[in-house]
Amino acid sequence: MDFKEFELIYKDNRCEIKDKQKIESKLKEIVGENNISTNDVDILAYSKDSTLIGMNWTIQGKIAGLPDFITWPETVEQISEILKLANKEKIPIIPFGEGSGVVGGAIAIYGGIIIDMKKFNKILKINDKNLTVTAQTGINGMNLERILNSKGYTTGHIPQSLYISSLGGWIAHRAAGQFSTKYGKIEDIVLGMEVVLPQGEIINFKTIARASTGPQLDKLFIGGEGTLGIVTKATLKIWPYPAKRTLISYVFPSIEDSFEAIRQILREQIYPAVVRIYDQFETMRHFPDIDKAKDKVMVVFICEGNSKLVDLEESITREKSEKNSGVDCGEHPVEHWLESRFRITETSSMPPYKIVFDTIEVASLWENASDIYHSVLKSMKQLQGVIMITAHVSHFYPNGVGIYFSFGGVPTKEQSDLEFYQKCWNTVVKAVLDAGGSIAHHHGIGINRAHWMESEWGTSMNTLKEIKKLLDPNDILNPGKVYVDTWKGGEK
Amino acid sequence: MGVEETLKKYSWILPLIQKADRATRAVIMKNFRQKKTNFFPEGEFNADVENLINCMLCPNMCRFDCGTLVASQNESMSPAYKARIGYYLTMGIIDPADSANKEFINLMYKCTNEENCKIWCPFDFSVVSLLETVRDDLNDEGLMPDYCKQQISKLNKTNTIEDYNIFETYKEKGIENIESDGNDDVFYYIGCQSMKFPEVVKANIEILKKAGIKFSTNLDKKVCCGGPAFNIREMETAKKFARKNKELIESTGAKIIISDCPGCILTLTERYEKAGIKIEKEIVHIVQYFRKLIDEGKLRFEKSIPEEFRKITIHDPCLIARNLKDTESIRMILNKIPDLEIIEPMYNKEYVHCCGWSGTAHWADKDLAIREAQNRINELKETGANIFISACPLCELGLAYGIDETEKEKYNILDISELLIKAL
Repeated sequence: MDFKEFELIYKDNRCEIKDKQKIESKLKEIVGENNISTNDVDILAYSKDSTLIGMNWTIQGKIAGLPDFITWPETVEQISEILKLANKEKIPIIPFGEGSGVVGGAIAIYGGIIIDMKKFNKILKINDKNLTVTAQTGINGMNLERILNSKGYTTGHIPQSLYISSLGGWIAHRAAGQFSTKYGKIEDIVLGMEVVLPQGEIINFKTIARASTGPQLDKLFIGGEGTLGIVTKATLKIWPYPAKRTLISYVFPSIEDSFEAIRQILREQIYPAVVRIYDQFETMRHFPDIDKAKDKVMVVFICEGNSKLVDLEESITREKSEKNSGVDCGEHPVEHWLESRFRITETSSMPPYKIVFDTIEVASLWENASDIYHSVLKSMKQLQGVIMITAHVSHFYPNGVGIYFSFGGVPTKEQSDLEFYQKCWNTVVKAVLDAGGSIAHHHGIGINRAHWMESEWGTSMNTLKEIKKLLDPNDILNPGKVYVDTWKGGEK
Repeated sequence: MGVEETLKKYSWILPLIQKADRATRAVIMKNFRQKKTNFFPEGEFNADVENLINCMLCPNMCRFDCGTLVASQNESMSPAYKARIGYYLTMGIIDPADSANKEFINLMYKCTNEENCKIWCPFDFSVVSLLETVRDDLNDEGLMPDYCKQQISKLNKTNTIEDYNIFETYKEKGIENIESDGNDDVFYYIGCQSMKFPEVVKANIEILKKAGIKFSTNLDKKVCCGGPAFNIREMETAKKFARKNKELIESTGAKIIISDCPGCILTLTERYEKAGIKIEKEIVHIVQYFRKLIDEGKLRFEKSIPEEFRKITIHDPCLIARNLKDTESIRMILNKIPDLEIIEPMYNKEYVHCCGWSGTAHWADKDLAIREAQNRINELKETGANIFISACPLCELGLAYGIDETEKEKYNILDISELLIKAL
């Protein structure tokens, strides 16, 4: 099959592989006959990630990117050899975990070799004394977490994508889980790593609780999005599975009241594991049966851990909520969230009606949070075709928040769905930057946000680009993302 | 999700559409009206297109527990991708009649029917239930893969899924045949795959005798339940076997039908009924019946189990755990057997991982099925037990493929009846 039946979205600047058979046989030498494929059925399987516009493309028979080879290396040395070959032949390499990314990070936009990390799926060691787990990075999140749970531990990193994402994906995209207000984000959880650099060198960052040994070079690879190296192994913090869990919910008259309550809770160094604010619309959408919540802002909290600490956290959470006009809504809204948090049906329900739907998470200091929220809503409501713009806020720090916008709409006039999608993205991101926020909280940059990196980073982007050039002079590792404006700015 | 639940879940959309400007509203209304024209095939089709779309656009929420995906570590085995290909074949985006696209058709058969996906599915269906509807269309178009045609041919030629009528081997295997006198209490419906495990069948017969049950086996007249034809969706053959079995079962006069094969139970009940051929009898798995006999005091534990059989783990057959929703009968029986040390595997009961040998996957890709069996064996080995107890001939067949030759002496896969008989 030449895939001509499918419209290819990212088709410019594809790499030209003159002698595909030669490359195939070299890859076979490296990974073995059974760990490489050029079969149509496999190539098509790796033509997309979980970017939501991709769902519209899928039903329309379009494909995002078309790789040339799929490989499943089993050792770190094999990955190193593939990278050496790719440098020699100037072929792009696209690391692939579980394909759950939502910003295009795993799409082979120029073709090339997919390195699927799924065979790196082992837990290598659990150390109870140090409270660490060492695992290969292709392991699926749920499989890691449920094995840890069965032995009485948790990483505390529970993203909504837990079932469909990998440890490597979390690290590459600098992920955050739903319980992160207590347990921290992935950069707080990773203690050590093994990385294969773009030219094939294998390096290790040893596992240590904390050190003063020069700059933290390891942090370069947490959020590197597979452009600076491929993380093959990581040691993470783990925790004893919480002894007690308390479910709390309050409704507030406005999003500002809810912000203020949570800011005051965190100021007291109280860290509920889960804190989620739903704006009025999201409250109506998710909690239609709760009378007290009508036209209000719902906040759900989960406090967990040592029983005495949980009781104290509960007491202060309630005190600050009530001080800020919060009305107790009991456990039911939290139970509802726990039951429904992995029941994702929206991605399937919109594309048959050609509705373009997505979420955009951004970051802010407390002082800008309310402005960002209102500014994004105002800007998006002015955009023709947008029928929905809402937000929930699910990641909190003593100093600020991560706000998660959801939008939906239809392209009108002569726009393609991608043009409309880009316009929505750009409207949100511009409003966030103008209001003093940061363009991404935990999904990463990928393709969707790359053209905003200069605005986000300012002149320090030059330094980042220099680092990329130094590590990857042939630009073979996940090209077309982060540093390159693949969207050509979209319609700003 | 039911219609009412769906309407409730998406009731928030309507006010948004009403509030939208005229041009936007017009586009949305047009898109709603044209959903079927845009995204459904023309003409008649069997495929469950609505749910193929739901599945292919889902971010694969069941992927971590899909046996074929875990065994292959290949994205092309992911449930949402299988649905995507099913949709493209149905829509003709991938031409099913083009021989170059054979691998895409094969993908529709690379499923073990284990239905682990259903546990995690946000829409509450299993992927095999979708793939079967795609197979219906492929069969109608004469595109059934050769390895499936071979199974149908064997069924029609030998009345079993083997190259020969395996039921006829009972004498050489030392299995007693009990002819029905038309007035039995119980008909012991022996599965054709169970005939590969004569010690299991003999144990079951002996247990029934010890309990004083009046039963028959009718091995001279016995045929396959037709399960393989139902898997392949060759419904003409499937219904032919349903009719044959209905006649055979009803001729025994038995009120209760018991089988040692969970696949047979599924076929004799749900599948026959859906095909319009209902057998009006109580049909249960043999472990469920043994549990009843133990409760009634008809089976007594009088012997001590030999020491080498005392450290066991349980492999729940997925059709008993997830289809019959019975994970307690096996445990209740084992817990009554004196001196047993039962160590549960991490993935057990309704969360059990498949043996690899159900559905059509082992015909479409035997190596894949073996890798799935190896994965399950590794999970069972992690318990530290050396005896793996199951209650399904297909599981016992599949698991045996998963044990390395060098470890065959160390680990023993037994049917629950083989253990039970040692204690009676």
